[in-house]
Amino acid sequence: MKGHRKLLLALTLTLAAGFIGANLLTAEEAKEEALPAPAAQPAATDVKRLDYLGDTKVISVEPMKELFSHRSHVVKHKIACAQCHTGIFEQKWGAARDKGDYTHADSFDKGLYCGVCHNGKDAFATVGEQNCVRCHDSNMVAPERIYFQKPVRTVVFEHKGHVDMGLKCADCHPRLFESRTGAAEEQPEKFVMQALYDGKYCGACHDGKAAFASDTRCTTCHIGVRGDERRLSQNAGGEGKHGK
Amino acid sequence: MNIKELEKLANEGVDQLPPLERRTFLRAGFAITGLFLGGSILSLSPVREAMAAVPGSAYPRDGYPYKPHYSMVMRQNLCVDCQLCMDACVKTNHVPEYGYRTIILEQKRSIGPEQQETIFVPVLCNQCNEPPCVRVCPTVATYKDKTTGIVVMEDKKCIGCKTCMAACPYNARYFSEEKRAVDKCDFCLESRLSKGMTNTACAEACPAHVRVFGDLSDPESEVYKLVHRPETVLWVLRPETGALPNVFYMNDTVA
Repeated sequence: MKGHRKLLLALTLTLAAGFIGANLLTAEEAKEEALPAPAAQPAATDVKRLDYLGDTKVISVEPMKELFSHRSHVVKHKIACAQCHTGIFEQKWGAARDKGDYTHADSFDKGLYCGVCHNGKDAFATVGEQNCVRCHDSNMVAPERIYFQKPVRTVVFEHKGHVDMGLKCADCHPRLFESRTGAAEEQPEKFVMQALYDGKYCGACHDGKAAFASDTRCTTCHIGVRGDERRLSQNAGGEGKHGK
Repeated sequence: MNIKELEKLANEGVDQLPPLERRTFLRAGFAITGLFLGGSILSLSPVREAMAAVPGSAYPRDGYPYKPHYSMVMRQNLCVDCQLCMDACVKTNHVPEYGYRTIILEQKRSIGPEQQETIFVPVLCNQCNEPPCVRVCPTVATYKDKTTGIVVMEDKKCIGCKTCMAACPYNARYFSEEKRAVDKCDFCLESRLSKGMTNTACAEACPAHVRVFGDLSDPESEVYKLVHRPETVLWVLRPETGALPNVFYMNDTVA
């Protein structure tokens, strides 16, 4: 190769290297910009970016089992982070439950927590049977009778009877009992007669003054294994002893 | 007639009163101390030692024949038919499904107009002092153990005639297909007491301490204290059979 051609080649190569290098650099900078900074608010309209939030579901177990879907609020309805955090909800799991006022009566009716938007105008309210199932697993119909199988079989509680007597939901829930099937039986070592004598669970009223004392008339509630077997065979439509 | 007039009546003496009448009141715990108005008014006085005055119903008063004299006290008002005792018995003594060594019976009792209450009665072999089952066994497969007083079974001698099952006033015996012999509660002698444990499986499993097991001849034991508690009514099941059972029932304060 002739001398000036060598020089030309060398020059081209250098320029090419520099050009490519410059391009690479720019691309890296661009990538850094593309990652959302933790503190920065992503644009509410950028659906693709927010999809990572869509997988987050907040499942609350206390005071009542319910489901809150980030996906439907952030991705579908395009609510910005700042609209809820941190004014209405702390960004910490269990924070609302620990505060102790995350209940229907305390929060929704007073316009706190979910009640800020779910007031009937900005979003569906908490009244109406068809709305219960949208957050809770069930349509939250009050049970007629509850059968406790732990710590001993079987204790019957006439829920409908107590409601018909004039008791309101807040008289027992959530102070004495969680409004969740099987909640009391999850802690059988706590759900004992001594707890009732100390004023917990049923003992809050069944202390001898408001209602019969819980250390009397045991078999009113304790129907036993035989009582439970009778109920199960009746439910199954089995024939009684004398064809009844 | 008021009390002042009653006080002026003359006591006609109880000698003319038929003994059956006096015995009826004695069984209820009263001694007749006076007769008035030709027998239409009786004066009664409570007598704690009344049962001893009825012939044939007295328990041995000169000490206990067995050492230890195992017996059980049931605090019946606390039983809620959770059947944890039955589960513990089945597990400890390998009781088959078709039989039982102990069972909880249910009784509905009326306690007023249109008011009913449910009572649960735990029943097991009463280890009677004069057992009808021992009396009828043709092969002496069952006998009352000389040391502990427990009515025990010797499986190899049992021929399965089931006469003992018919004789038992408490239906406490069942025929075990696995053992090819009649089986019954032995106060966990084989499964626990002979291995050094001091309590039966059912008594230990009860969450309300309904079943109290122990040595009746030991004044420090809980059974002794419950049986001998003053002003307490204790009863046994089917005393009319004369079997003299060793399982006592009472209504106790919740504790």
